[in-house]
Amino acid sequence: MPHSTQDIENPTISRRELLRATLIGGGLALSGFSLLQWIKGPLLTASTFIGKANDYQMDIAHIIRHGLQELGITRTVLTEKRILLKPNLVEPHRSSPHINTHPLVVRGAIEAFLSLGAASVVVGEGPGHRHDTLLVLEESGLGDVLYEDRIPFRDLNMMEGISVPNLGKQTRLTTLTFPRVVQEVDWIVSMAKMKTHHWAGATLSMKNLFGMMPGIFYGWPKNVLHQEGIPQSILDINASLKPHFAIIDGITGMEGDGPIMGTPIDAGVIVMGQNLPAVDATCCRIMGIDPSRIPYLKIADQWLGPIQELAIEQRGESWRSVQVPFALEPEIPAHHDLRLG
Amino acid sequence: MLSTLATIQDQQLANGGFPYQSGEQARLDSTSWAVIVMSAFEGTDESCARGRSYLRSQQAADGHLSISADQPRASWPTPLAIMAWGRAPHFHQARDLALNFLLDFSGFHYPKGDTSILGHDSSIIGWPWIAGTHSWVIPTAMAITALQVSGIMHHQRISQGMSMLLDRQLPHGGWNSGNTLVFGKELLPLPECTGIALQALAGNTEKHLIVHSLTYLLDQLPRLRTPISLGWALLGLGAWGLKPEQTEDMINESLHLQKRHGPYSLPSLALLLCAAWAPQGFHSFFTAPLITSSSTLRGAKT
Repeated sequence: MPHSTQDIENPTISRRELLRATLIGGGLALSGFSLLQWIKGPLLTASTFIGKANDYQMDIAHIIRHGLQELGITRTVLTEKRILLKPNLVEPHRSSPHINTHPLVVRGAIEAFLSLGAASVVVGEGPGHRHDTLLVLEESGLGDVLYEDRIPFRDLNMMEGISVPNLGKQTRLTTLTFPRVVQEVDWIVSMAKMKTHHWAGATLSMKNLFGMMPGIFYGWPKNVLHQEGIPQSILDINASLKPHFAIIDGITGMEGDGPIMGTPIDAGVIVMGQNLPAVDATCCRIMGIDPSRIPYLKIADQWLGPIQELAIEQRGESWRSVQVPFALEPEIPAHHDLRLG
Repeated sequence: MLSTLATIQDQQLANGGFPYQSGEQARLDSTSWAVIVMSAFEGTDESCARGRSYLRSQQAADGHLSISADQPRASWPTPLAIMAWGRAPHFHQARDLALNFLLDFSGFHYPKGDTSILGHDSSIIGWPWIAGTHSWVIPTAMAITALQVSGIMHHQRISQGMSMLLDRQLPHGGWNSGNTLVFGKELLPLPECTGIALQALAGNTEKHLIVHSLTYLLDQLPRLRTPISLGWALLGLGAWGLKPEQTEDMINESLHLQKRHGPYSLPSLALLLCAAWAPQGFHSFFTAPLITSSSTLRGAKT
């Protein structure tokens, strides 16, 4: 990722690396470092920010601006940047607002980025389950916000695509096709909801990027990606798209049978950062989930970013001080053994 | 509404195709929708012929039409192209090639597994969005409709497809995109999927089997004004003789909402016009008398 401490590279180990590991691995015991990390080079580190927000009536733009400042993202960094905000609107229903990134969090991000000099903000989503994206906007309440704030919206499901090599190589797909809008922006911001997920364990900023993939090429609900494997697809998308920032709406999250049929839970936080695996790992800890037991985060560790606690510098609140264990469902295999010890 | 038709017609490109949005390149779904709606009107023969020729020029050797040349697996526009070719002279060969493709084409299916995880019967054959993936409600309903409006009223694939749609109907009515229950929880119905499924099942399904879905859609209709959900809801209800008296008003309200949403895509505009003029669901749009320039909406329904 452009702002991480190490370029993305494939996590496979070369024969030479394997030989080196074999020769010296037996006696290696570095506290906090795996053998693989030692072989591959210096430990990846990242910073994440946790801001408290008890409800959606708070000054969310202020919280996000504060978080950006804490993370070292100044006006100099953002000036003239064209920003794409990608909220999670997988399948909105008026009766279940906790499914989606809350529109007031999106508004807060719009205000924060524009106030720090961004040239433009556009919001885009390719809802996983729904063909009628305009109805998604209306039912989620985001349509009102964007209309009032005069912010353009892009239906990523229906957009012409650009194909790029699949840098993740976790699926059989040799290329990935992203919506054309990715060529028209400088920053891609994943604005996810803090939720459990019945196939992936947890859905946060990395999984949210499924919604970047146009339905016209991947189907509804992103059938090609499900066929190729959800964890593998998450990794391929993140490795190839290289998103720039994540903001997680954890003010009210979803526990239990997420991402649609779960129940609301007030976690009272907004979590942010430039490194998506680090942000997601921090969210997992807040949710009472061990990030190393989420398959895609485990593979992402020290490749796309850090997930170990020691490798993540925490700004704002500590995760322990805001931890709210999310309910996990015993009948859902993906929830088994996730609980943070 | 005639001005909306003119808006569509004006977007035809030099190659005969139509874009998804004004200013973009031609797309097969948009071109198909434009031809489908224009073909209901007198005086559009030349535009329709050019559109149909464009579709034919994009057809693969095996008969399918994909959304993009570099995405051959994304063959979901094929039923739309079949309907655009319809019974027009000079395009029978292309249409029949596509029909044969459609009859040989199905999704990825597997034996029905643990119903406590997935409630639907994954073995019933339908059609997918993308080759090699599971079958879902919308592409299956569109394939059934394309076969039927082409005159293939009875076929094993149609029977299988209808069985699949009925199996995917939610216990309390309506359709989600394809699943019914996941980990024992019933999913929520979606109006666009429900409307498309209902219009595909009309005429071959006993009403008591889908009555909860009709109830759901009638309940949703008053608040539906976005073009995809409203259009398919009207077509789905119309197919069961429930086209509302206020159809024209609802569609005009939807068209006015472009002030809020920006210009609708061409397929959305075409869908709204189909919903306005189809006397009884989408199938009837292909058999109704041609609409003349002096036709009114209500006149077109007779």
